[in-house]
Order: sequence, then C-alpha cells, then structure tokens
Amino acid sequence: MKKMVVAIFLIPVFLIGCNQEQTIEVKDSNEEQSETVKEVIRNSDEIYTGNAIFIEDQLLVAVQAKPWLDYKKRKIEKKLQKEVEEQFPDLEVLVSADYKLYWETQKLLDEGDEQKVSEEVEKLKKLAKEET
Amino acid sequence: MDQQQYQQIEDQITPPTPYVKNVLKAFLIGGLVCTIGHAFTYFYIIFFNFTETTVGNPTAATMVFIAALLTGLGIYRKIAQVAGAGTAVPVTGFSNAVVSAAIEGKTEGFVLGVGSNMFKMAGSVILFGVASAFFVALIKLILVTMGVVEW
Repeated sequence: MKKMVVAIFLIPVFLIGCNQEQTIEVKDSNEEQSETVKEVIRNSDEIYTGNAIFIEDQLLVAVQAKPWLDYKKRKIEKKLQKEVEEQFPDLEVLVSADYKLYWETQKLLDEGDEQKVSEEVEKLKKLAKEET
Repeated sequence: MDQQQYQQIEDQITPPTPYVKNVLKAFLIGGLVCTIGHAFTYFYIIFFNFTETTVGNPTAATMVFIAALLTGLGIYRKIAQVAGAGTAVPVTGFSNAVVSAAIEGKTEGFVLGVGSNMFKMAGSVILFGVASAFFVALIKLILVTMGVVEW
C-alpha cells in the first residue's frame, strides 16, 4: 500500500520532466515570413508547441498551451492572434489552441499538393467556428 | 437503559467508517472513468471532425451509452459497490440512475412503470442542474456587466 502511494505521488514528477523545449514548425516557401512567425510564437512562454501554415493569403497558426495553463487558452489565443495580425496585416490570420487544429496542421506540414492544403485550411477554419 | 446509554453502546459496536480508503477508491476509479472519457475525446477529435469545443456531446453520449449497457448487464452495480462516489459523480452515474429506475419499473408496465419511474432520480438532477445553471449564468452576467470578468 505504501509503495503504491509513493508511486502515485511520483507520477506528476515524471510527467513534468518530459520536455521543456518549444517545437515550432512552419510550412512556407518564404524564409523571412516563417522566421517572423516563429519568433512571435517563441516570445509567448505559455506555449510549448505550435504549427504555422502559410497558403495563398491565409495564415493558420495552431498552438498547444502548456498543460497547467490550458484552462486559459482562450486568452492565450486572443493575445497571439493580435500579435500575429500585427506582423502580417495583409494576411487572413487564424490562431487556435485547439487540439483538432494542431493535429490536422501536423499532417499538412508534409503535404505537397497546394490545392489540397488550401482546401483543408478552409475546412479547418470553418470547423473552428463551430460552437456546438 | 435510556437513550444516551444506547447511543453509547451503538457507537462502541459500529465499526469505524474507512473514510480515507473510500475517498482513495472513489478518486482512483472516478479518475479511471474520466480517463476513459478523455480517451474518447481524443478518439473523436482525431478520427472525426470535432474540435475541443464540440467534442463534449459525442463523448458524453458514448459514456452514457456504455454505462447504460453495463447497468443492464449488472456490472455497473459491482463497480459502484467498490467505488461509491467515483461512479456516481461522472455522467455515467446519471445514466445508471435512469436505466436502473427504468428496469425497476418494468414489472408495472410500460406507461405507469418504465415511463413514470425513469426520471424519478434523474428528474431531480435535471431540475437542480437547470436551476443552478441559471444562477451561475446570472452571477456571471452581473460580473460581466460590472466589468469584473469577460465572457
């Protein structure tokens, strides 16, 4: 019994020790743009991972907030949306902390077909608007 | 022997309630139920077109369905005997209350038995759920109007 209690208390310690580094990936042909968006995401410490996709005049940024800060991800989203829009005023920007968008953008990073990526981003934007 | 003496003897004889053990059991099994629920959440997000905002409905529906099935098969009762509040507090407990009441009333016929008994327990859950939701929304509305918090 004692061993089990000790083990249960140790679980969070092991989980916290996982990964402190930010991993940010960008799908874009323009070096400069991707560096800028990387810099913006890196500046917010509440985020531990993020993907950004540039396609035509759209920019989709999907991030994941750190586990303990997940409850205020709406605020983080809003803040980042503002910052990214300042950097890219002529693009249609959507920042989301939703896991669905993060998962789908992860798949899109390796997608070669531009047409397909554009369609997918359009679909995700619609999905992000759904409330119920 | 007066009432006080009787009370004393009763207190001596009754075995002490293992509060810590019960709480621990409820915590672990309740946590397990919620972990399964979260697994369904990720399942629906990854394989279907649900976002974190919309995924709550199918997840709750699945959990309710599974709990209803387990109640019908008599397995849920056995789990609840061990876990107590751990199985009553999640949405599965609500499902169990509805289905077990429906099964209980089956002998009295469909309309007067199943129909009228089904929401005997769940009815109060729904009533107080709606009522408390109303008051929470009211408090939030007041706070937003005062400018303390945002929506």
